Amino acid sequence: MTKQGRILGIGPTDNTSDQRTPRQPLRLIPEGVRDSFVPVVPATYRTGPHEWDLTRTAPGRPRAQGTAIEVTGTLRSESGRPVSHALIEIWNANTHGRYRHVEDHSGLQLDENFYGMGRVLTDAAGRYRFWTISPGAYLARPDIGRWRPKHIHLSVSGGSARLITQMYFPDEPNNASDPMAILMGDAFARNIGTPRDVNGADVDEAYDFDIVVGGRNATYFE
Amino acid sequence: MTTRQPNALPATNEDTSGPYFPIAFADPALEDLTCVHPGVVGEASGTRIILRGRVLDRHGDLANGALLEFWQTNAKGIYRTPATEGDPAIDPWFHGYGRQRTATGAYEFRTIMPGAAPGRAPNITITVFSDGINRIVTQMFFADADGNDTDPVLKAAGADAPRLLARHDGRTAKGEEVYVFDIVMAGPDETPFFDDLES
Repeated sequence: MTKQGRILGIGPTDNTSDQRTPRQPLRLIPEGVRDSFVPVVPATYRTGPHEWDLTRTAPGRPRAQGTAIEVTGTLRSESGRPVSHALIEIWNANTHGRYRHVEDHSGLQLDENFYGMGRVLTDAAGRYRFWTISPGAYLARPDIGRWRPKHIHLSVSGGSARLITQMYFPDEPNNASDPMAILMGDAFARNIGTPRDVNGADVDEAYDFDIVVGGRNATYFE
Repeated sequence: MTTRQPNALPATNEDTSGPYFPIAFADPALEDLTCVHPGVVGEASGTRIILRGRVLDRHGDLANGALLEFWQTNAKGIYRTPATEGDPAIDPWFHGYGRQRTATGAYEFRTIMPGAAPGRAPNITITVFSDGINRIVTQMFFADADGNDTDPVLKAAGADAPRLLARHDGRTAKGEEVYVFDIVMAGPDETPFFDDLES
């Protein structure tokens, strides 16, 4: 039997996915050159001391509108090894579903107290923590009434570990119709944050979201 | 390919970067690898090249908002990884990892000509993140380079190998060699993309 690479799925109701998803099966990386496909991100990145708190644009400034949340978790490889001192880049829409991005032309309301982007590093045990505003869902396809569910974007760079993913929220009505969630199937459950007690933190809600980086990008050292 | 350990943790799913990867996260030091930072004395060794091209969708339209990542050897053919740290052939002013977001879908990346790693032709690994997809990965080669005819990745691409070749397009007034490479995400001229998971 000839080994064949994956055929990528196209997200239903996602025009961009239809335009940009390769149709050919992916080629399997030849034995012996696998490492050459694994970038090692130099640890030259930096983060500001206040970037972990997206609920304010700077210390002492007013809280942004909406529900303040804390997100914590541990970054690990598939073998369970913590990925320490990795960069996590975070971006999410404000409570109205608007990004403070020059290419977001939705016209939804901005919040002068919400920037919506931040960067944190994992600690020696691979743990991370940030605060943000619970993002609003937004109408991604007005023509067919399809919404994007509430989600937070996370980009992980740590040595050979590299992952871009999203954290979703439990029991959201739009989760089931999201094109990317549909492609994930049952595995979508892994991308949903787990609510927990705020444990006295100055936020309204708290979630655990452990991240496991799999595939060749986690395996350089293993 | 990946051999998963039986007790491996289930990986978090990759998900699309979406259209709004923050432009504010751009790092000029990752967009030009010929120097360690635009404001610091410290030049990478090797022939300076400019790699430019377009990221195209299946209709031939520019794929706006794509995030591109580059990974390559230094001029002596050494990847800078934990395994090669301390190797005398490491260039202290070159780490080989680049990243840039293209607003329009056209890109221009300044770097040095990679050297050939053992058994390989010179190449640059290119990763594309964008709205509508998670991550697609390929390796780009130089049309005029030695070793292309025996490179295992070009061989694996078979009849589509020419789609992995960057075309030489002359030299700038500053002496940089210009190469052109379009990435076709889907469609009749689709670029071969690589992965290590079986279907």
